[in-house]
Amino acid sequence: MTPAVSRRTYLFTWLTLLGLTLLTTLLGFINMGPFSIVIAVALAAIKAALIAGFFMHALFEGKLVRVAIAAGVIWFLIFVSLTLGDYITRGWLPFPGK
Amino acid sequence: MSPEIAPLALHEQFANPNQQRETASFGMWIFIISEMMLFGGLFVAFTVYRMYYPQAFDDGSAGMDIVLGSINTAVLICSSFTMALAVYSAEVGSRKLVSAFLVLTMIIGAVFLAIKFTEYYKHFLDHKAPAVWFDSAGPGGPKIELFYVFYFIMTGLHALHMIVGIGLLMATLIRNLAGQITAAYYTPIEVAGLYWHFIDIIWVFLYGIFYISGLHK
Repeated sequence: MTPAVSRRTYLFTWLTLLGLTLLTTLLGFINMGPFSIVIAVALAAIKAALIAGFFMHALFEGKLVRVAIAAGVIWFLIFVSLTLGDYITRGWLPFPGK
Repeated sequence: MSPEIAPLALHEQFANPNQQRETASFGMWIFIISEMMLFGGLFVAFTVYRMYYPQAFDDGSAGMDIVLGSINTAVLICSSFTMALAVYSAEVGSRKLVSAFLVLTMIIGAVFLAIKFTEYYKHFLDHKAPAVWFDSAGPGGPKIELFYVFYFIMTGLHALHMIVGIGLLMATLIRNLAGQITAAYYTPIEVAGLYWHFIDIIWVFLYGIFYISGLHK
């Protein structure tokens, strides 16, 4: 069977991942206040997308698998946004006990 | 297709090998998504407490060993690369290369675990083992301890997945040596690879939230 992804692509993915890790670490030394963790997580998300897309062949799968992955990610984002939406907005209203 | 691999290559309930392959891949992805929710719950809990105690969580993060953590991230990315090459070798039907890359992946995975447990040992010596031996003197002590609780549970669960992953690769290696993995049927190694790469993805996020967030201190 013809491989879904070539060795050259794997090599570039691997090198890009190592490069992004180095970038993550170097940016970590700069104090950006609350944005430090935001940038760290954003870079992690890019690395995760590269691993899923090329190493896990997500980009080369059929529609069924791609829809399932997208549903998983979207469901997780709903979970995150509703939970954080609750915790972030507590204390916005001037009621006692809120 | 040689006769001895024909029964494995296509099971009777599938219309064609491609449908069979996609079914296995789909099942593994569904499992990975359920794992994503398991780790996701921990990530969200961590985020909520980090919003409540940003100072203490940064202080906790500053106590991490960035050198060992960064080396471990690179180590795990390398193991993902060798795993991808193992799947590639299976696709082109090279049994020897499949075995070689599987062994290499397991060794690199073991190196990761060795470095991880060295870190745990150092935390213990630094009295940073929550509930067992935690030096919570100083400002924000109990809150920093909470950071370490998350750290040990999440990296511990990740390490557990690594151990399971090495076992899975061992089983795949045995199947490969028995000649059950061919260019016509390599689904076992492909789904084992999916699991291994997923563990890598989890670590990439763990590295970001535990090691990087307090690095500037």
